Amino acid sequence: MTTLALRWVHRNLFAKPFDAALSLVIIPMLAWAVYAFAHWALVEAHWQVVGGSFKVLMTGIYPADQLWRAWFSVATLCAMFGAGLGLSVRPGRAASTVVALGVALTGVMVAVAIDVHSGMLAAGSAALGVAAWCGVHHLAADQRIVLSGLLAGVVAIFVVLSPPGFEVWGGLLLSVVLTIAVSILTLPFGILLALGRQSRITSLRVISTAYIETMRSVPLILVVYWIWIIVPLLAPDTSVPGLLRGMAGFALFFAAYVAEYVRSGLQAVPKGQIEAARSLAMSSWTLNVDIVLPQALRVVVPSLVGQILDIFNGATLVFIIGLTDFLRAGQMILADPQNSGRTYEIYVFLFAVYLAIGGAITYASRRLEAHLARGSR
Amino acid sequence: MNAIQIPAAATSREIIVSIISLNKSFGAFHVLKDVDLDVGRGEVVVIIGASGSGKSTLIRCVNGLEMYQSGRLTVDGFSMPTEADRAIGGERELARIRKGVGMVFQQFNLFPHMSAIDNVAIAPIRVRGRKPDEARANALRLLDRVGLRDHAHKLPSQLSGGQQQRVAIARSLAMEPHIMLFDEPTSALDPEMVGEVLDVMRELAREGMTMMIVTHEMGFAREVADRVVYIDHGRILETGTPAEIFDRPTHERTRTFLSRVLRH
Ligand SMILES: Nc1ncnc2c1ncn2[C@@H]1O[C@H](COP(=O)(O)OP(=O)(O)O)[C@@H](O)[C@H]1O
Ligand SMILES: [Mg+2]
Repeated sequence: MTTLALRWVHRNLFAKPFDAALSLVIIPMLAWAVYAFAHWALVEAHWQVVGGSFKVLMTGIYPADQLWRAWFSVATLCAMFGAGLGLSVRPGRAASTVVALGVALTGVMVAVAIDVHSGMLAAGSAALGVAAWCGVHHLAADQRIVLSGLLAGVVAIFVVLSPPGFEVWGGLLLSVVLTIAVSILTLPFGILLALGRQSRITSLRVISTAYIETMRSVPLILVVYWIWIIVPLLAPDTSVPGLLRGMAGFALFFAAYVAEYVRSGLQAVPKGQIEAARSLAMSSWTLNVDIVLPQALRVVVPSLVGQILDIFNGATLVFIIGLTDFLRAGQMILADPQNSGRTYEIYVFLFAVYLAIGGAITYASRRLEAHLARGSR
Repeated sequence: MNAIQIPAAATSREIIVSIISLNKSFGAFHVLKDVDLDVGRGEVVVIIGASGSGKSTLIRCVNGLEMYQSGRLTVDGFSMPTEADRAIGGERELARIRKGVGMVFQQFNLFPHMSAIDNVAIAPIRVRGRKPDEARANALRLLDRVGLRDHAHKLPSQLSGGQQQRVAIARSLAMEPHIMLFDEPTSALDPEMVGEVLDVMRELAREGMTMMIVTHEMGFAREVADRVVYIDHGRILETGTPAEIFDRPTHERTRTFLSRVLRH
């Protein structure tokens, strides 16, 4: 055992003089950094600030007596995530153990941070997600049914969350819901743009190309701000909530990127597929919907999932149109003089959550890629 | 010009494909030169010729996968829209022709995201408006006919080349075509799988299906063809019964070609 470890160390860290020198510098530095951080996190930091402002971080100024709506959304999101996972990843024993521990840990952490009641709700939601994962996998559920279920979930979240008004949505919940809604909205629009760009009809092709290239050459924040300003000008009599305007801006912007992904997918479909479909007298519509798009989208699913991460990270920009996303909620808490000394605690927490969610999305994208590579052809 | 034509009318058959002085170029490259060919109902026409002589291009014109510049091409009584017609939307006419013409490709071109049975059922459902249950029941019958009933729910990637090509034949048959086009259907197959595909085609010929077949399987051609057409550099040099072409070819070039392919 020790000899093995020594051999590993020798081969990987001290194989050449330069490696050895580098290792001698970097390892102590890393060790010191880890020690310093651990000392701060475990001894000096005052984590109560996170627990005390948990509600604001998670939901912003969402009314406290309406929080069951937020919990409904959390549970639905967990179930949706689990169901999506069930389509591609087998719930094996190792994974189950990790997830079971994760569920328990989530519950305990939330219970400690806020109260036991919330801890139970959090653990329950996570467990629901696991149930959906196993359920979808064992029933070998039809993809189409699961996908419709996911759509229904999003609609349900909107319906349940909206009664107190869109203005009060905030925190991590806002970031997540915005990300999901925008990801879904960009799909049909992006697909149409990609098809438009390949169309034989010149006007369609020119408009699609111009749209895509324009959106890809300007910054996201500009588009979001611009849509936010222009909607009231176009429809002076109706007041469209800022959240919806923001979502429209995000969707219009990211649709151009989706279109480019889809276009690369379309180009990956072999010409023989189109010839076979044509020789069966299929119309252009059937050819695209039943033959070309399913194959093209399969190729680009990992990129599209990866783009969800771009949208999620981009969602930190909604503060410019007056929305309180997760990052903004953290800053609001720090604006309270009572929390003025807690900057590091809040930012470390924000960092950890962004890293966890980003990591999960990246992982899902990798798994999907591997799964799809195995599944086709 | 000096092509020897046996008009299908002489064998008192109804003409189903009529090709009159067809010319086709890819840019400056003249691929098909004044091609005349009639195919009668129930007739099996085998097209042979060296690689690059224009065999694929010719049969791809018959279902409109390639456009031609001049000449006349009618299929099932419908005239094939020319390049100019298509620019102003001859798509509907084209679809009407294609409904009656099945095509089997060298590379199978099965839809990789669908099971065998869905590959066969999709066109009847989407193009002919059949009910999904009926279309799938019929698809299963067709798969049974090509000996693949037990493989109906497999994806193409789970099937051997020979099996995939038989699914492709079933897929074409599902549209109830009046004529079937085969473009080197066995050229991409391992030798041990050629037989199973040829068996299915033989069976089709026996049932009276009209077929245009591009192939290098000369034994098969001799056995099933009513007529053999030899193409050389985009021109039909010689047509005749298998006996005439294989045993008494009149052209020196035909003789050279045959001696080359028959030697092995
Ligand atoms: N899409 C195309 N563009 C340009 N040239 C082509 C195209 N398709 C075929 N050709 C050329 O036309 C000639 C005839 O091709 P093809 O009909 O495929 O021959 P065959 O099937 O007899 O081998 C070949 O020289 C080939 O290179
Ligand atoms: Mg060819």
